[in-house]
Amino acid sequence: MAVSLSKGGNVSLSKEAPGLTAVNVGLGWDARVTDGAAFDLDASVFVLGENDKVLNDQAFVFYNNKKSACGNVEHQGDNRSGEGSGDDELVSVSLASLGAEARKLVFAVTIHEAAARNQSFGQVNKAYIRVMNKAGGTELARFDLSEDASTETAMIFGELYRHGEEWKFKAIGQGFAGGLAPLAANFGVNLA
Amino acid sequence: MTTLSPGANAPLAQGPLTATVSFTPVAGADLDVSAFLLGANGKVRGDADMCFFGQTLVANGAVQLSQSASGRVVFSLNLDRLDAAVEKVALTATIYENKARFAAFPHLTLSVSGGIEALIPTQGMQETALILGEFYRREDAWKFRCVAQGFAGGLEPLATHFGVEIAAPTASPPATPAPVSLSKITLDKSRASISLEKKGDGDFGEIKINLNWNRPTASGGFFSGLLGRSGGVDLDVGCLFELQDGRKGVIQALGKAFGSFDDAPYIHLMGDDRTGAVRDGEWLRINGKEWRNIRRVLVYAFIYQGVPNWNATDGVVTLFAPGQPPIEVRVSEEGGNLGCCAIALLENVAGSVKVSREVRFFQDQQKVDHAYQWGLRWSAGSK
Repeated sequence: MAVSLSKGGNVSLSKEAPGLTAVNVGLGWDARVTDGAAFDLDASVFVLGENDKVLNDQAFVFYNNKKSACGNVEHQGDNRSGEGSGDDELVSVSLASLGAEARKLVFAVTIHEAAARNQSFGQVNKAYIRVMNKAGGTELARFDLSEDASTETAMIFGELYRHGEEWKFKAIGQGFAGGLAPLAANFGVNLA
Repeated sequence: MTTLSPGANAPLAQGPLTATVSFTPVAGADLDVSAFLLGANGKVRGDADMCFFGQTLVANGAVQLSQSASGRVVFSLNLDRLDAAVEKVALTATIYENKARFAAFPHLTLSVSGGIEALIPTQGMQETALILGEFYRREDAWKFRCVAQGFAGGLEPLATHFGVEIAAPTASPPATPAPVSLSKITLDKSRASISLEKKGDGDFGEIKINLNWNRPTASGGFFSGLLGRSGGVDLDVGCLFELQDGRKGVIQALGKAFGSFDDAPYIHLMGDDRTGAVRDGEWLRINGKEWRNIRRVLVYAFIYQGVPNWNATDGVVTLFAPGQPPIEVRVSEEGGNLGCCAIALLENVAGSVKVSREVRFFQDQQKVDHAYQWGLRWSAGSK
């Protein structure tokens, strides 16, 4: 039974699924039904060290860098419109193989060209993040963001983090002004 | 005061509320504000879930359109009294008959009692129907969200979005194709011309011009003997054309000048009905996609065989353009013994198609040419 989290809540994935070695993190939202520019949302993952900065630039996994240098975090691709069933974007994480220096994985979603299109997360319906056991696909945790989203154009949906020997997941739902670039800079990514 | 921009939400005070929509009125564009009571599926359950000028009180008074003045519309809401099945109440604004777009309304706000104000950023908005905001249930309480999204096609797609079926006469937006119209426009002496509006893309589609006439049904006897030496009349349709580049010419079966639809002169004569018995007569097709290349077209009919007796032919030229009522010109006058009748003139006036009734009689095409200063050279021909 998946744990449905509210903003700020957390759950121990290792307790939910003993022997867990890898997860799929799914992110989704509804396609726009009204007229106007479509919502193009992109998920990004930041693999952070103890100092809350990315381990290296390849530890920023996004649409232009689909795989971390270690190969343990892989972005499965972009669904541009959010149509269709299931997750719009999927990220695979091999928790067991991740080096000990990786302390935290931050999952963020940004709205592509939000300023130009005058779009914000409050206009996106049914945005969520969920964590599934890669073996078997069981949903372990889920966080529906709809109520916590507002005028943000970039949002941290949730994070996977080490807690002692366990992996936990925390529902964040925190907006970040400015979009992907300042978000990436905040986590120590060297941007061109 | 909480100011909400699109996407933002806020909790609501308990108890009855008022929601006020304010805007600066725009001349010639009526703004209608409505409320839709929606279930979990985002749709109304029936027409009773729509609160608008035609039905100001719904859900036993839980939602009421209580004031509607120029630039100010007030709804009274008692959300706690709504059925549990109602998950959402959407407030919408629509511009009647899509006469303007929301960009024309620079100041559009929705304020809710308790100090919530939603500012709708209308700059550049192409929509003619907007969901301004929505009241929705969240963990046993009602909240309000500013939405500011909508539809360029107006009330119809908006209503469809909410699962409402709108009866045709209420408001059918001009953006959708007009239903088959039984009306037609007859050009006569009191109304001698009409213009087909210039299309945005300059494409009028296929403009078809039909000439039809009656063949006398009496095959013999006294009257037919009086009417003509031969029983039938062969009426031919033809036209003089002039393109924007100065090229000009004639299209008619006589001389086998059938023209071309896809290439200049973009006018094509279809077949030749020599008896008038073929039900739909003769057709000229004009390629409306190329209308910008055409300066003017004069449609005429001429009696190829038989004695000129225009009244008896009951000739009628009908112009069909996609999305327009047919335009009809009847040859209702007597042309004496003149064999050619200039019936209708189509002119390119700044991209629109101006259709004028002519019905002027001439001895032959050459005389028509001369009268309209077309400037062609003529020689006798046969078909």
